[in-house]
Amino acid sequence: MFATLHNAFDPGLFWEYRVGLLTGLLRNVIIFAESAALAAALAFVVGAASLSRRAYVRWAAVAYAEFFRNTPEYVLLVWVYFVLPLIIGKVVGTKVNLSPEVAAVLGLGVAYSGFLSETVRAGLRSVAYGQTEAALSLGMSGFTTLRRIVLPQAVRRMLPDTVNQLVSLFKATTIVSLIAVQDIMYQVSMISVAEMRPVPLYTGAALLYCIVIICATQLFQRLTERWRRRGWA
Amino acid sequence: MLENFNRYVVANIGALSDGLWVTIYVCFWAFLLAIVLGLVACFVRMRVPYLRVVAIAYIEFCRATPILVQLLWVNYVWPEIFGFPQTVTGAGIIALALQSSGYLAETFRSGFEGLPKGQREAALAVGMSRWRIVSRIEMPQVALVIAPLVINQLAVVVKSSTLVSVIAISDLMYQGLKIVNQWYEPIEVLTTIALIYFILLFGISRTANYAYVHFQAKFGLANAR
Repeated sequence: MFATLHNAFDPGLFWEYRVGLLTGLLRNVIIFAESAALAAALAFVVGAASLSRRAYVRWAAVAYAEFFRNTPEYVLLVWVYFVLPLIIGKVVGTKVNLSPEVAAVLGLGVAYSGFLSETVRAGLRSVAYGQTEAALSLGMSGFTTLRRIVLPQAVRRMLPDTVNQLVSLFKATTIVSLIAVQDIMYQVSMISVAEMRPVPLYTGAALLYCIVIICATQLFQRLTERWRRRGWA
Repeated sequence: MLENFNRYVVANIGALSDGLWVTIYVCFWAFLLAIVLGLVACFVRMRVPYLRVVAIAYIEFCRATPILVQLLWVNYVWPEIFGFPQTVTGAGIIALALQSSGYLAETFRSGFEGLPKGQREAALAVGMSRWRIVSRIEMPQVALVIAPLVINQLAVVVKSSTLVSVIAISDLMYQGLKIVNQWYEPIEVLTTIALIYFILLFGISRTANYAYVHFQAKFGLANAR
């Protein structure tokens, strides 16, 4: 019984490879942060465009959101890594190479901008239109209205849903190991090949992820709760 | 472009459609298993006093672990500890089902908890057994309310199923990558695969949307989301 348990979960093995594993985790966090920033920036543009007065802008934004929401992240990632450099190369006329890290950030960022743009759209729509009309009739420009009146309220309402999306984005960063970004899952597979002991490593990785994500979710929930109590969100 | 399309996509259409069938097969069984496991976890969490903690731990574990990690874990660890699954297809199905069962259990719970408590009390008062209350009173209402969410979960299963190619299940993605590695002409093949997945998933999410709007109009449901 104890032998089976020891075989299933062996923290010593993790301690032995702590440097590589932590470097891998750090790379996960970096890719998460970069693609989250990219996704948020794109999502704001697309979310705002999907409420545009011009029909073709609206349609383009909806098509963008639907396409990236309904394409699997892994397919997008592989597409960006293999196909995008070739297409850019054909357009520019020279050979282009995309590093796995850049491809990972682009792929995940674009994929999650689709999900987040729906959140942004819902948030922007939740601010009563009368407020925009009032601001415009006071002589504020469209951009000032957005910045001073709509966004401060909308962003607060977007927060809880955004946190959920970011948690799934963090979970999705595991798949970047498949295009040879040296993240934590990449390290785990390398070590399990070297040690010939996949059982404790994969169990450990699963538990590690479980703990990290539950802690992060709890932390974010506490934070948004506090913001809400203070009237920020 | 078109010449390449004919050479790499049309010529390999047999392999791609085989892959598509494997994808559908894996998703179907994974989704079915996920619904069963989700229902069990949901009932244990709501109604069984001491096992509740186990159910909560199970649900949280399933929800908080990325699908790739679960896939590799089930594929490499389970055969050595539990003695099954013996095939990669089994491992893929179990991993996908695990992940979704966690989410589905919470969806089911939100459905059951959304019902007014008075209904259950009234049914108990007229002497219905617990199982009969669930099957006659609660289940029909909950099924309608959560149908769109459950269909959306199917979309998540199909999306995650792209990753089963990693453990060498010959699904659509696997077949596509095989052609890419053979000829190193990724543009047409990968774009076609992306479009096939898009069409599949778009259809599923439209169905969910239709169920949401249609059921709400037809049965006058309270706001489910």
